[in-house]
Amino acid sequence: MESRKLRMGLLLAAVATLASCNALDGGPDAAARGDGTDTIAVTEYPERVLFGDTHLHTDNSVDAFGFGVRLGPEEALRFASGEKVTSTTGVEAQLARPLDFLLIADHSDGLGATRRLYDAPRMLIQDDTLLRWYDMMHESPEQSQMAVAEMINRAANGTLPASMTDQAANEEASRDIWTAHLKTIDRFNKPGKFTALAGFEYTLMPGGNNLHRVVMFRDGNDRTSQVIPFPGLGDGPVDRLWDYMDGYEKKTGGKALAIPHNSNLSNGLMFEMTESGGAPMSADYARRRAAREPVVEATQIKGDSESHPFLSPNDEFAGYGDVGWELGNLPLTADKNNTMFAGEYMREALKRGLSIEERTGANPYRFGLIGSTDSHTGLATADEDNFFGKHTGNEPNAERVNEGQNLGTRQGRFGWHYLAGGYAAVWARGNTRAEIFDAFARREVYATTGPRMTVRVFGGFDFAENAFEGDWVRAGYTKGVPMGGVLEENGKAPSFMISALKDPMGANLDRVQVVKGWTGRDGKAQEQVYDVVWSDMEARAKSGGKVPAVGDTVDRAKATYENSIGAAELQTVWTDPDYQPGQNAFYYVRVLEIPTPRWVLYDAVQFGLKLSDEIMANAVAQERAYTSPIWVQPKG
Amino acid sequence: MKLPNWAGRAWLRDPLTHFLLAGFLVFAFFQLRGEPVDPASRTIEVTREQQAQLAVQWEQTMQRPPTDAELDLLTEQWIREEVLYREALRLGLDVDDAVIRRRLVQKMDFIAASQAETAVASDADLEAWLKAHPERFSSDPRYTLDQLWFEQESSAQAALAQLRGGADWKQLGERISLPPSLADTNRIALAGQFGQDFAKRLDALEPGTQWQGPVPSGFGYHLVRLTSRSAGKVPPLAEIREAVAADWRANTGKERQEEAYQLLRDAYTIKGLK
Repeated sequence: MESRKLRMGLLLAAVATLASCNALDGGPDAAARGDGTDTIAVTEYPERVLFGDTHLHTDNSVDAFGFGVRLGPEEALRFASGEKVTSTTGVEAQLARPLDFLLIADHSDGLGATRRLYDAPRMLIQDDTLLRWYDMMHESPEQSQMAVAEMINRAANGTLPASMTDQAANEEASRDIWTAHLKTIDRFNKPGKFTALAGFEYTLMPGGNNLHRVVMFRDGNDRTSQVIPFPGLGDGPVDRLWDYMDGYEKKTGGKALAIPHNSNLSNGLMFEMTESGGAPMSADYARRRAAREPVVEATQIKGDSESHPFLSPNDEFAGYGDVGWELGNLPLTADKNNTMFAGEYMREALKRGLSIEERTGANPYRFGLIGSTDSHTGLATADEDNFFGKHTGNEPNAERVNEGQNLGTRQGRFGWHYLAGGYAAVWARGNTRAEIFDAFARREVYATTGPRMTVRVFGGFDFAENAFEGDWVRAGYTKGVPMGGVLEENGKAPSFMISALKDPMGANLDRVQVVKGWTGRDGKAQEQVYDVVWSDMEARAKSGGKVPAVGDTVDRAKATYENSIGAAELQTVWTDPDYQPGQNAFYYVRVLEIPTPRWVLYDAVQFGLKLSDEIMANAVAQERAYTSPIWVQPKG
Repeated sequence: MKLPNWAGRAWLRDPLTHFLLAGFLVFAFFQLRGEPVDPASRTIEVTREQQAQLAVQWEQTMQRPPTDAELDLLTEQWIREEVLYREALRLGLDVDDAVIRRRLVQKMDFIAASQAETAVASDADLEAWLKAHPERFSSDPRYTLDQLWFEQESSAQAALAQLRGGADWKQLGERISLPPSLADTNRIALAGQFGQDFAKRLDALEPGTQWQGPVPSGFGYHLVRLTSRSAGKVPPLAEIREAVAADWRANTGKERQEEAYQLLRDAYTIKGLK
């Protein structure tokens, strides 16, 4: 009797295996399954900028499901590629403009675990904590969100129930979900039109200090299906993730890179002066980090990590999107003090990279910049007037602006602290997995806080004043390096050809700035922000070294603005007036739009809210773009 | 091999046929291999193959082979599981267990889903699918045009007058980093660079050799010479058969899974339901 039953089980398992082999013959065509090489004609150099999101969560993420989202990867891809979908809360949603690419980055830890808990028969749940969470998830959306807040706290403190962190137990489920996921993205991957990249989020957070990374694969199904996403909870240091990536590349011949994010919630740990274990940084370690993590996500829903007023007191535009996020780590289980900021904000990290390079000969923080959403709604929205919330609990509703939005259980952060999210802009030669990945690898990417501005930067030593006459893009590539590139000193001061075109459906531009960081002969890292071109330059002459503010057309009562100030395009050739031979320096460009309403103001108008003075002071902002830097290295 | 042509070949495509055939092969395999391990037996044989399998699983996760000590530990864990598994079967714990029941149901669903993915559609099916969803397969409209940009509408009007007077268009327009000419550019690229509104306005213009406008965009005002605009076309099925089949398969899997279930369901008599 038992014997027959067992044989039946084996039979089923074997048939399942057979069937899954068969399944490979069906599904999307070979071009969609691969990395896109040779599927479309690529241009000689990047001609059109691609916009996308590399950080979107769906119902496969342990927290997103608990927060309530019921949209999966398929709906997420439909939405990003321009189709209409219905959000979890029943609102029809469609992007006014489709994205060019999407990377769904579900948490590798407990892939699909909350859904499994939710679906499990109650009588079989042994663990008291799981049983309580099960009941909370079934009781109401609010209770479900509380349950997830507890999960995140316990994850931060390393006290999750054993069954949730047992890697072996979760592995089979992870493999099933990953296999299905890779097939789903292949169905939407259309070389030349829309790219669906494979990847996941690695959720390392010792003590609640956010050291999360998004992992991006260059490759098609044949390679990515040979691994499963690498879990981050409980273990560390981040070197283990790099081991996993090394292993993947060795095993499959493919390529992977990691993108750190929310350094602003790491309590100083994201960009340390030391190795992850505390040892002095070696050149080998620095080189490994720079190679594994060529790009950092500088702006997203949970705040902006470009700069902080404490670190950059002379930069009046520092501190965009810092309010609320500067209080402590991710779940607010630990407060922050001023000494931690330097390890959290990317401008300081770029400077630290130079200092470490002086000492060791290698720069661990030679990274480019992107924005993304980190949305947990399955909807990759980044505009102020279409903000669907961090997660399903704060999809548009009348309360979300003022609600406490702590991921943990302590007070301090509120709905209005969230930003609407950003996008990654990519200068690729074509819209395929391989071309997009390669652009990330060479750092030819930039961050925007949502608007789709077109920004080009070329650095070189031979750009004339009239460099914009004629085919200046070709000249940029042939006579210099694009954003993300490295120049070696040649005795002259470096020049930069900079062009910023507004979002055709957005606000005009206020100004273009160059942010320079350098170490001089004394080895100390310094910074300087230059206004290099701005709108109405004659009327807005510099006074006291500063360009006067552009003005403000925002009608607070109606949440509208006028493009009657600012410029459609700003271009200049700028030469560093303070360059000294021997300087080790980086230069990145920051483009500011004119002031526009933030999502909170749109909410106030839509729901008839009266906002507090504190929120009103943060209801209008100048959205922006940050390019990847160009480095100028001393000889030898 | 030539197959007898009994009643068309529909049975060849029937998921049930696939299932029975696969099942038969597996059954035959186990018959030929001899009796599997009797769970009632208290002898556990750890074969080299078994250990190799454990090592492979480890390597898939850790990206390196296990050390001898790790393999010993894995083997010990495996033995522990096997002992407890057999004892559980001995106690009949697999009977009436909701989780095991659900897991087996999932496996059946998985088989059905996989079969659905290998299903082959007839030409009629695909024609119908293409007809029902033309937008998924149509080529984008493409635009060929020259354009001049002006910040102010009045400058654009003045330039239009000059153009009509025979002026060289290349000498006109203000400088902006938008391309002056687009050749056979698809709508996504056009809207990406000039905005959706501009693309929509172009759809209202008649293609020709005349300069038209000013056409407003998010940047300002444009004079446009729209040489050609090709409408989006749906290619015939023969040219895009593979893509249509893939789309059909992906989007009708659920239906066919349900059909396969109904086939099984019909063989059952359900009693007691009112």
